[in-house]
Amino acid sequence: MGKIAGAVLKVLDVECAYGANKVLDGITFAIEKGSFTGIIGPNGSGKSTLLRCISRVLKPVRGVVLLDDRNVYGLGSRDVAKLMAVVPQETVVNFPFTVEEVVVMGRSPHLGRFQSEGKRDFEIAARVMDLTNIRHLAGRPVTAISGGERQRVIIAKALAQEPEVILLDEPTSHLDINQQLEILNLLQRLNRETKLTIISVFHDLNLAAQYCDTLILMQEGRIFALGTPEEVLTVQNIKAVYSTNVLVNKHSITGRPVVMLLAPGRQKGIAQAKIHVLCGGGTGTALLSLLANHGYELTAGVLNIGDIDWEVARLLGLKIAEEAPFCPVSERSHEENFGLIKRADACIMASIPFGHGNLKNLQAAIRALEWGKPVLLIEEQRIEQRDFTGGRALHLYNELKQKGAVVLRDGIEVLDVLPKLLPRKDTSDFPKTSLKKI
Amino acid sequence: MKLQGRVRRPKVVLGILLFVLGSTIVICTTIGPAPIGPVEVLGILLGRVPGAGGLIPGGDWPETFETIVFQLRLARVVLAALVGAALAASGVVLQGLLRNPMADPYILGISSGAALGASLGLLLGLGGYALGIYTIPLLAFLGGVGTAFAVYALARVDNRVPVSTLLLAGIAVGSFLSALTSLVMVTSGSNLHEVIFWLMGGFAGRGWDHVKVLLPYVLIGFIPMYLYARELNVMLLGDETAQHVGIEVERVKRLMFVTATLVTASAVAVSGIIGFVGLIIPHAVRLLVGPDHRILLPTSALVGAIFLAAADTVARTAVAPLEIPVGVITALCGGPFFIYLLRRKKDPGF
Repeated sequence: MGKIAGAVLKVLDVECAYGANKVLDGITFAIEKGSFTGIIGPNGSGKSTLLRCISRVLKPVRGVVLLDDRNVYGLGSRDVAKLMAVVPQETVVNFPFTVEEVVVMGRSPHLGRFQSEGKRDFEIAARVMDLTNIRHLAGRPVTAISGGERQRVIIAKALAQEPEVILLDEPTSHLDINQQLEILNLLQRLNRETKLTIISVFHDLNLAAQYCDTLILMQEGRIFALGTPEEVLTVQNIKAVYSTNVLVNKHSITGRPVVMLLAPGRQKGIAQAKIHVLCGGGTGTALLSLLANHGYELTAGVLNIGDIDWEVARLLGLKIAEEAPFCPVSERSHEENFGLIKRADACIMASIPFGHGNLKNLQAAIRALEWGKPVLLIEEQRIEQRDFTGGRALHLYNELKQKGAVVLRDGIEVLDVLPKLLPRKDTSDFPKTSLKKI
Repeated sequence: MKLQGRVRRPKVVLGILLFVLGSTIVICTTIGPAPIGPVEVLGILLGRVPGAGGLIPGGDWPETFETIVFQLRLARVVLAALVGAALAASGVVLQGLLRNPMADPYILGISSGAALGASLGLLLGLGGYALGIYTIPLLAFLGGVGTAFAVYALARVDNRVPVSTLLLAGIAVGSFLSALTSLVMVTSGSNLHEVIFWLMGGFAGRGWDHVKVLLPYVLIGFIPMYLYARELNVMLLGDETAQHVGIEVERVKRLMFVTATLVTASAVAVSGIIGFVGLIIPHAVRLLVGPDHRILLPTSALVGAIFLAAADTVARTAVAPLEIPVGVITALCGGPFFIYLLRRKKDPGF
């Protein structure tokens, strides 16, 4: 967002209502010129209404929308259309206008009352058809092209308006994924190459994260969060707004946040229990999110900074015993790990491959047993196959088993076994039926 | 790429259609029960054109021929053409505004309102010449316009007129008024025949007076229709889309409804309720020239004029001296032709 001076669009304290139904309340934000902003939020949170309000369709009860510092509702609709174009979710065209005819309709605000389109208008239409890659369809009826092509036509029509700002309402929600990406890549290109300001409602959080530089997260007609995708798409925000447990990871190529849905929690866990997870190299990714989803308080270690599990643990906001990237576990981080284990009620070891660098994690698990903490070993793969230390890991692993570590096949089993191993804590919100099993 | 159903040169098409309309009017005027030959008709017609009187030799026809050709036949053909143009143009505008294939000029209840007005007038015995020939047309006009505005007002929600509520309001008010008209007909006794004849529509007994009544509405009404053709095109993509390219949608809608209502109601007032023209002609022409209102509107008006002028001639001559109601002819010709067009083009406009 930054400084408001460079803003092309300002929404100041806007309140909108359908009849007596207040839909937007106290919305204030500014859109910088040349930015790509996504509006996200659950159904009914006011995303589309906000777009309608900005696009001069639904006049706010209170507050103003300033486009180039001029009140949108004080301008004529033609003046607004010269500055701002809108692409709806889907445009139903029942009449066999040709693609070119529809695109040229975008020139309407630039034409006088009784004027017809001239040579320049057709040149502009040709240019935007090139941009949107639909020039070859120019003579085809819009009724006889695919949904993705039609959406490109509508975008071309919007571009023919030569706007400074383009508003889109879930422009790809009716399209296949390849068409979705095609449209969004096109928008991104326009945004970067022509400094076109783009504001779009998104249903899909990952597409929003991927393409936008700013996100506005709406909840019940208000802005819940506003900022970069990293700032907005956090586990906590999504939990608060969508009441859904997710795992937020980092896209391995773009570095943008990726939201992964988790199975709805069974809420059988003992929220107060502290679990320390020994993992690394991606073996703990699912486990960490699963346990977090079930309300366990987690810590993790020893993880190398930059490791996938480290990222996940960090995104979940966990306390981590961490080590420098690609370095073997040092005495310092080993001690840190011990510290976390000491505070935990139980310790779970993911199906980690062992090299000389992380053998200390096995020793940490043995120490946990010695301290009387239950230890669960998840054996997705036999230890022989993941021992890269010439038998040393195998030896320590067997020692673990002898000392009473419980071996499980997968992370799901943890949810069933864990409550039985944990020291009983009487809590009011702990269901009685589960207590019987213990 | 060659465009299907598109006209490359609209002006040429319009020119040809104008010529066809002129020829149709002349040909239709030559047809009739009185033994007047085409040459004499041409002579009589040209005699009325300043400076063209001597083009046809002769001129030794009786005075009655002149009256028949000019006062009876020509007036009637011209009126039929005007009504055809009015209904077709209104049909184009309403189908476009409502984005609905079933829309026709009567969708706003104009026909049922006009029918009630006219039948009430006939019931009260106002159809006689004592009160002037304008009484029934005036009542029909008022009934039609009043109904259309009532429907519009009923459909209004928050200063906007959504298409769906407008259609429903039109149907509801239309059925209500039709019921009232039926009630009037039951109680109309000896006037029943007149009422039924009016309802079926036609041009029997109409003359230049009716043309004079209708002409200003048609001429004045066509101007805004044509000037807003580009806006109508964009509005086919939806109200909000049109608004987003800078069109004051509700204002254009209002203006177009008022215009179409006045044009349709004036046509109904002079001719009664003639069906199919306002529905079929816009459809057929759209299939032929495409959806662009700038060409669709004038082409439909011309085709509507030609069609109704020809249909009325068939109506009055096919089983002369008996007259077939012209609505029967329009339906008999229009229906099959329309089906043919629909079958020929797999992708109809709607």
